[in-house]
Amino acid sequence: MALARVERLTYSYPGAARPALADVSLEIHPGELVCLLGSSGSGKSTLLRALAGLVPHFHGGSFSGRVEVAGRETRSVKPSDLAGSIAIAFQDPEDQVVFTGVEHEVAFGLENLGVPPAEIHERAVEALERLGASQLAGRRTQDLSAGELQRVCVASALALRPSLLLLDEPTSQLDPEAAEGLLDLLTALGCAVVLSEQRPALPLERCDRIVFLEEGRVAVDAPQAEGLSWLAANHPAFLAHESVQVEAEVDGNPVCSVQGASHAYGDRVVVVPDIELRRGEVVALTGANGSGKTTLAKLATGLLGPAAGRVDLRGRASYLSQDPGRYVVAERADEEVGLGVDGDLDRAHRALRIVGLAGYGDRHPRDLSSGERERLGLASVLVTEPDLLVLDEPTRGVDPERKLELAALLRSQAADRATLVVTHDLVFAADVADRVVSIEPLREPVRA
Amino acid sequence: MSPVPAALVLAALAATALLADRTITVAVIAAGLLAVCTRAPRGRRWPYLLGTLTGAALLFVFSPLFARYGGIVYWEGPTVPVIGKLDVTSEELSYALFQSLRFAAVGLAFAAYALLIDHDRLLMAGGQLRRSVLAIALATRLVPTLERDAAGYVEALRGRGVVVEGVRGRARLLSPLVAGSLERSLNLAESMEARGFGRPGRTRAPSPPWTSWDRVAIAGAVLAVIGGLLWL
Repeated sequence: MALARVERLTYSYPGAARPALADVSLEIHPGELVCLLGSSGSGKSTLLRALAGLVPHFHGGSFSGRVEVAGRETRSVKPSDLAGSIAIAFQDPEDQVVFTGVEHEVAFGLENLGVPPAEIHERAVEALERLGASQLAGRRTQDLSAGELQRVCVASALALRPSLLLLDEPTSQLDPEAAEGLLDLLTALGCAVVLSEQRPALPLERCDRIVFLEEGRVAVDAPQAEGLSWLAANHPAFLAHESVQVEAEVDGNPVCSVQGASHAYGDRVVVVPDIELRRGEVVALTGANGSGKTTLAKLATGLLGPAAGRVDLRGRASYLSQDPGRYVVAERADEEVGLGVDGDLDRAHRALRIVGLAGYGDRHPRDLSSGERERLGLASVLVTEPDLLVLDEPTRGVDPERKLELAALLRSQAADRATLVVTHDLVFAADVADRVVSIEPLREPVRA
Repeated sequence: MSPVPAALVLAALAATALLADRTITVAVIAAGLLAVCTRAPRGRRWPYLLGTLTGAALLFVFSPLFARYGGIVYWEGPTVPVIGKLDVTSEELSYALFQSLRFAAVGLAFAAYALLIDHDRLLMAGGQLRRSVLAIALATRLVPTLERDAAGYVEALRGRGVVVEGVRGRARLLSPLVAGSLERSLNLAESMEARGFGRPGRTRAPSPPWTSWDRVAIAGAVLAVIGGLLWL
């Protein structure tokens, strides 16, 4: 018997021109791992929200069809009453944290469900341990790296011991080792898991079933082997592929060199490895969560000053932060892009065209989809024509087809500058980079 | 100290500063709270201290100019339309000092609350009032969250070569900060609902019992308010 059943679900957000989900039907069976794929904006997150009852209860909008989970129709039960049977971890860990303490955060759902007080601590710690995050128990949530926070959010969902676990891009900020650990855990968990992913290589290896959404419709819903064949024929970018390297014209001039540098965050000192970035090359910087990749990127661009060592930057540097869509300032997309060039809208429109957002100039940046916001952020730094371009996790939330486009775009512009890409996405790193620099995690914290 | 007694002590000190009518009493409270605030990490405490102390200083400088009492005139200035003749008297200065110290004491009590108290444990102590306490705790946390968001905006703009300077530059960030915090609050509310918030029959994780220090602190807080009302 199906644990969850979606029947002819059509749903539109309030005021939306077209439905986010159209005539979706599927079943989820106990214990199976379903890999939910699709391009940005194809309706994956909306489908997860519908399974959790948040659509339509929380978001409103127009809803037709039927969603039933654990024998209860979601329209007749509040999402808070479905909690426990269902648990969901959302895409942006920064936006779902209620408490300042990690253990309190994981315990929050357990308290709401009425778990006996004597069991709460034990279950919270157990969930953190299963995620390999027990060392975070005493930490403050605002002090965690994005990857650490993501693990805490997944632990908060896992602690509820649901029969249906819904995860929206749970590995987007995890290093490859942590991502593999999470997949191992999900495979062994025993409850049904629906996993939406934009780094699908590992989930596709481990899943039982593949569901692919296109413009809100189910394009394929098939067992793993059949789904992989369908992907190979229709969306090969979602499968592991050989990277195609393009020869860059490297003139050999170093644009930036970092030697013996460190930076102090209060009393915590992060020591970064030496690196030299030359005009014409694209370098991918990888490493475990908290290993200092972002610190190195910020030191290279001058956003952070070195506490020790030397940073030589020759020319102009631009830095695209993680989650750039969050930090939009202007009321129009072209004005947002024009900020970096004293409001020159001609250059802004050219940059928008380069990233595939021609015609979007008059749109409000906050009305764009998350993938479009990412590209807007990229246009905002490309427009400055920097000698050193640093992109921090530029593929977060970006689907594999768009990643290939992004890699091609960066390669096509590589000759003009030195490019440093900080990423956990090893497939993207292989697609885009001339060389990959991997940072080893610090074995012991250094105190100032 | 446990968060509930600590919050009560801070509230009592702020109330005492408002009730007391001696400058020295208010000055001692403000100095004590300033010392407490310096225990917070340097990176986090400066916006609170800067805001509070600048506000107090502005109050001290400008309020004598607009007041109209006192006989010992230290300075006479021009006549300004609507406001009248500007002057500063001894009595006006004393009163301005008193009011600015009051302002500083209340501001520093809030700063200590925001910077040093474990809001999670305070929230869990809310018991039956948990919903209201959660609302207050989240609202209180809005300030440090906005502070972090503002730093994120400044960094994102610096990364594009845009320098945020002066009042006008920072004012430009206000609208996106508000829009961003609205987006965040919707996402947070959704996340809370998905984790069963608002469901009947909730429980609480056990928290450590109060120590004798906590009880002494509460008694001290009550005495401070009574003292402020009657004698200080």
